[in-house]
Amino acid sequence: MPSHLTLLSPLRPPCSTRTWLSAPHPTLPLLATASSDRTVRVYSLTSFTLLSTISGGHKRSIRTCAWKPGTKGESVLATGSFDASAGIWRKWERGSSGLVRDPDDIDGGGDYDGGEDEEDEYNFSVLLDGHDSEIKSVAWSSGGQYLATCSRDKTVWIWEELEDDNFETIAVLNEHEGDVKFVCWHPSEDLLASSSYDDTVRLYKEDLDDWTAVACLSGHEGTVWCVDFEGDKPRVGLKDGKELSEEQKKFIEERERSGPRLASSSDDMTIRIWRRRTREGQNGTSSHDRIPSILKSNSIEEDWYEEAQLPKTHDRAIYAVSWSKKSGLIVSTGSDGKILVYQERWKSPKETTESHSPGAESMDVDKLSISTATEWVIIAEVEGAHDVFEVNHVNWARRYDRGRRNDEEEVIITTGDDGEVKVWTLDHD
Amino acid sequence: LFDHLVPAYSYLNDPFDQPLSSSDSEDETVEAIDEQEIYDLIATISDPEHPLSLGSLAVVNLPDIHIQPPTSSRSNISTVLVEITPTITHCSLATVIGLGVRVRLEQALPPRFRVDVRIKKGTHSTDEAVNKQLGDKERVAAALENGTLMGVLRRMLATCK
Repeated sequence: MPSHLTLLSPLRPPCSTRTWLSAPHPTLPLLATASSDRTVRVYSLTSFTLLSTISGGHKRSIRTCAWKPGTKGESVLATGSFDASAGIWRKWERGSSGLVRDPDDIDGGGDYDGGEDEEDEYNFSVLLDGHDSEIKSVAWSSGGQYLATCSRDKTVWIWEELEDDNFETIAVLNEHEGDVKFVCWHPSEDLLASSSYDDTVRLYKEDLDDWTAVACLSGHEGTVWCVDFEGDKPRVGLKDGKELSEEQKKFIEERERSGPRLASSSDDMTIRIWRRRTREGQNGTSSHDRIPSILKSNSIEEDWYEEAQLPKTHDRAIYAVSWSKKSGLIVSTGSDGKILVYQERWKSPKETTESHSPGAESMDVDKLSISTATEWVIIAEVEGAHDVFEVNHVNWARRYDRGRRNDEEEVIITTGDDGEVKVWTLDHD
Repeated sequence: LFDHLVPAYSYLNDPFDQPLSSSDSEDETVEAIDEQEIYDLIATISDPEHPLSLGSLAVVNLPDIHIQPPTSSRSNISTVLVEITPTITHCSLATVIGLGVRVRLEQALPPRFRVDVRIKKGTHSTDEAVNKQLGDKERVAAALENGTLMGVLRRMLATCK
């Protein structure tokens, strides 16, 4: 394999019970970890040590947490718990400037330690009540305006913060037929994705003041545990290196018109890549395979299709998938305790030529050649990442510690049943 | 959180496991865990509505227990599959029984075992739905924080020694 994962450091001290998910702060070197002991631990990503423990708000396991993006002078964390409620927590960030540190000023922020005095604790500010059963996931929209929550009660709620601490429910979405496991926002549009126990992924948008389902992605044959969007300015990997052929340029243009894709990971041990069919495509040759809808306005509905599946290497349920917004690499983990890193690359000309002439059965020869122009390969793998324990979550985070090799470098964070959170670097051989 | 609700079990001897405090191990020889030992762990679980054990009701049966060794030499993870046979095909307590078996094994076996509990094919009217619930780690975790359900499970597991 062209790369390998190296354990940089575990976060210390670990939790003594199962940890579910870790969320990196959008601008500070902080990581929040949701735990079954009803706490959230906030660790430093420069020293890898515990800074704060948030407790006392939830009556059962904290399943998930998410930092609000775009806040000024304070950090805002949303938590979701098996006690059916979501919590909002705030902490003033008194840097030397009195403002949240500039994300690019990380050398100066190397000693960031979360402050020394008692006032620097996270204060519970709002309880969001409404779900009937366990909350499984929470997510802020990219601008921080909306908070989505989802639950075993099969619903997705969207909350809007009108002013400080005043959250209004602006939508209750009842599309799923089973637990909703995960919610994730598009990186730039107000488009929300949810994944479920009913084996589907659904997408929602606002249409004339009403949030409505705009697509249903079916194909998985088991619970869809996690979804993640591609970055807004991704695909650098495909643009790197050699001169692109005309065909490859056309391929990239076409894909950029589709916008960020979506990755989904499932109990069926597959990870699938979904892509939005562009409007031109909808009106053209491919319209025959769309399900006509007379009930919904065509203007808002979206058509997403399965573009690819990642190499099938996991032996058990895949609990998490994370798409790097910087490198375009994908990382996954799950019940088998493996971490896998995948890269998209151009197929070699020979392979592409072969797939160009598959016989004349397909009416969409152009589409076929385009869909097979790239392939996903595994570039790094770790087995037993958390000893024999299941790994519940993985994601990419900016690297902040002193060993950081360049501004763009990222680390991989894994969160496991052993209560451990581990930080890994990806090294290219 | 729910430690006090659940009786504590000591792990079986396991060659892959760190040696535990030797005070409670009467057996010095370390051997791999086999199907019979799995059966012995779960056969004594009480049925939630009869005063009988799952073994005596033939809800759990030795031939329906399968241990799969690690899939590769680099892995230490083994899988235990237990197929249970509900006493009647529409038994609404099948999920609770399955949960009891899963909880019992997860507590008694070392963490290198993944525990899969399923309803034996064709023995229950909604086996697919029950299997999906029993296989869902998040649902199982949440169920164990439910006081009422834990009460039922505690009574079922009280007869295990």
